Amino acid sequence: MRVFKMEKGNLVPFLRSLEEFGEVWGPVKKGNSFVYAHEDPEKFDLSAIRTLIPAKKFFLPKVATILKFKNGAWTDNRECKKRVIFGLHPCDLHALNIYHEFYTRIYEDPYYTSNREATLIIGLSCLPDDNCFCNLTDTSTIEEGFDLFFTELDDKFLVWVGSPRGDEVLAKRKDMVEDITQNDIKEYIEWRKKREKMFKVDLSFTGLPEIVSASYDSDIWDKMGAACLSCGTCTMVCPSCTCFDVEDEYDIRNDELNRKRKWYSCFFREYSMVAGGHNFREARAERLRLWYTHKLVGFMSEYGEPACVGCGRCVVSCPVGINVLSVVRALTGEKNDAFWAKTEVKQL
Amino acid sequence: MGKPKIGIYGLTGCAGDQLNILNCEDELLKIFDIFEVKSFVMASRAKDESVPLDVAFVEGSVSTEKDLEELKKVREKSRILVAIGHCAVFGGVQSMYMGCEAWMERYKKVYGKEDAVTISPPLEPRPLSAYVKVDAVLPGCPIEKEPFLKMAGLLAQGVIPKNPDYPVCAECKWKENECLLLKGEMCLGPITNSGCGAICPSHNIGCIGCWGPIEEENFAAGIALLESKGYTLDAVIKRFSIFGGTERGEKLAKYIESVKGGCNG
Repeated sequence: MRVFKMEKGNLVPFLRSLEEFGEVWGPVKKGNSFVYAHEDPEKFDLSAIRTLIPAKKFFLPKVATILKFKNGAWTDNRECKKRVIFGLHPCDLHALNIYHEFYTRIYEDPYYTSNREATLIIGLSCLPDDNCFCNLTDTSTIEEGFDLFFTELDDKFLVWVGSPRGDEVLAKRKDMVEDITQNDIKEYIEWRKKREKMFKVDLSFTGLPEIVSASYDSDIWDKMGAACLSCGTCTMVCPSCTCFDVEDEYDIRNDELNRKRKWYSCFFREYSMVAGGHNFREARAERLRLWYTHKLVGFMSEYGEPACVGCGRCVVSCPVGINVLSVVRALTGEKNDAFWAKTEVKQL
Repeated sequence: MGKPKIGIYGLTGCAGDQLNILNCEDELLKIFDIFEVKSFVMASRAKDESVPLDVAFVEGSVSTEKDLEELKKVREKSRILVAIGHCAVFGGVQSMYMGCEAWMERYKKVYGKEDAVTISPPLEPRPLSAYVKVDAVLPGCPIEKEPFLKMAGLLAQGVIPKNPDYPVCAECKWKENECLLLKGEMCLGPITNSGCGAICPSHNIGCIGCWGPIEEENFAAGIALLESKGYTLDAVIKRFSIFGGTERGEKLAKYIESVKGGCNG
C-alpha cells in the first residue's frame, strides 16, 4: 500500500478539489452528535467519533424508489449520484466491507453496486471514546475497502492509498502531498501505541460465538424482551444491518406507481410474519435473540467474522440500554447496570 | 370498469380529517377525477346515498346511537371501509378514560345531567372497529395529506392499503435526529404509529402520540423508562392517555389497578 503525507492546511483545499468527482460529504456537528452532510469541507469536524446514522445510508438509502411503472412499462430508477464520503473510521469501513460481501457475494444487488461504484471513499483515523470497542471486535485497523485513508498525526496526515482510483486522485494532486520519511513512520508507530492504550471497555469477546449459542435458552432474553420497546433504533444505527422492506406507492398526481425500498428492522412486527398472519418471532425476546445470534454467531459461520464492528452506536442509542456491551456483560456474568438489567418491568 | 364510487363521512369528531382532504387543493380535481364521489357533505350538499360504494372513508368516533346507526348503514353499502383519523381508528381523545367504570359519572360532570344531550342517546366513545369490520386505517390527528393521497392512490388501483407497522422512532432515525428520550424528554415515539415523518421530534418536541398506539406497544417498559427519568406515574399515564384510545385505555386501567389498586378516571 502506498503512503504519502499531507500538511494539515492542505486538507480542506484537497477535499474541495474533489467536488469535480462528486458531492463531498463529511461529518458535521448536529446538537451533541454528528451526521454526514454535504457541506463545505471547512465545516467537517475531524473529532467526530461516530455519526448518528452510519455511512450505509449512501449505499442503501433509507427510502429509495427503485422502480417506476407508468403506461404499462417498468423503468429502473437506479440512483447513483457521484459522491465523495470523507471521515469513515476503521469500524465504519469494516462495516462497509460487510455490506459489500452481503450485497455482492451471492446475489449482486445492482442498486448497491451502482451506488458503491459512484462513491469515492476516504477514511479517517480516530481516537476512541468510552463507548468504542473495535479493539475487541478486531476492527480497529483497516487494510482494504477505501480509496484513500487519512491518519491524523500531530502536524500532518499520512495518506494511505487503497485503490487505483485513490492513486489516480492523488496523482492529479501531487503538489498537495509529499513522500514520507523514516521519522514519519516512527511518529505513526508512536501514535498507534498511544491509541491502543486509549480503549476503555473492559470486557472479553473471546469465545463469544460459543457463549451466545449456549445461551439460547437463557432467561436474560426474556428479561431484555420485557424492556425492549421494539423501536428499531438499534437496527437503524447499526452499520452492518442490511434489512429492508419493499412497498408500492401509487402517485395520483402523475399516474405513476413507485416501488420503494426502505430500511426495515427484525424488531418490527411484520418482519417474521407470513401469509395467514402466523408470526415466527412473536415475542420481543425471540427477536432480540435473533439479532444478537445473527450478529455474533450466524454471521461468523457464514462470513468468518462477527457482524459487530465495535462502533458503539447501539451503546449510545438504545433508550433502554440493550446493546452489544450490556448483552455480552449479561451473557458472561459480568456486572451490568443497563436499564433493562436493573429494572423490573411490570408486564400485564 | 367505471370509476370507483366513494363516500366521505364524519361521525363524532372535529371534522379535521375531512377538512384535510379538502385541503389537498392541488390534488382535489384529481381525486374527483379518479373517484366518483357520491357523498362528501363537507364539500357539497349534493349527495346520493342510494348506491353501493366501493370505498367509504369514515372519520369520527361512535359517540351516539345516531353515529352507530349511520356507521352501520355506511358499512352495509360499502365494499371497503376505511377509518380515517384518530377518532375513527382508536376512539379519539374523547375515549381516553376508557376502561374505568365511571363513564356516566363523568358524563354528568361535563353535561350537568344524564339526559342533557337530546339529539341522540349518548354512548361511551369507541372506534369504528368496536362495532363493524374495518378494512383499512389511516391514523393521525388529523390525517396528513401525503399518507391520504398514497392511500387514495392504492385504493384507486384496487389495492387495500396497509399502514406501517413501525413506530415514530424509525422515521425519527431516518431524519437523523438526536433521541429525545435519551435526553430525558417525555417522548412517545417508541409506542406511536409512524406516518407523520417524526415531525414533532424533528423540532425538538417530544412525541405526544397523535397517530395512536402501535399494535405491539410495550407501554409498561415505556412507563418504567419515563419513571426512571424522574416523571411521576400520574404524569406518564396522563400523557399516555391523551391519544391512547379505547384499547390502550383498557390496558392502562388494568395496569393502574395492578400498581395502585384503583381506577385513574
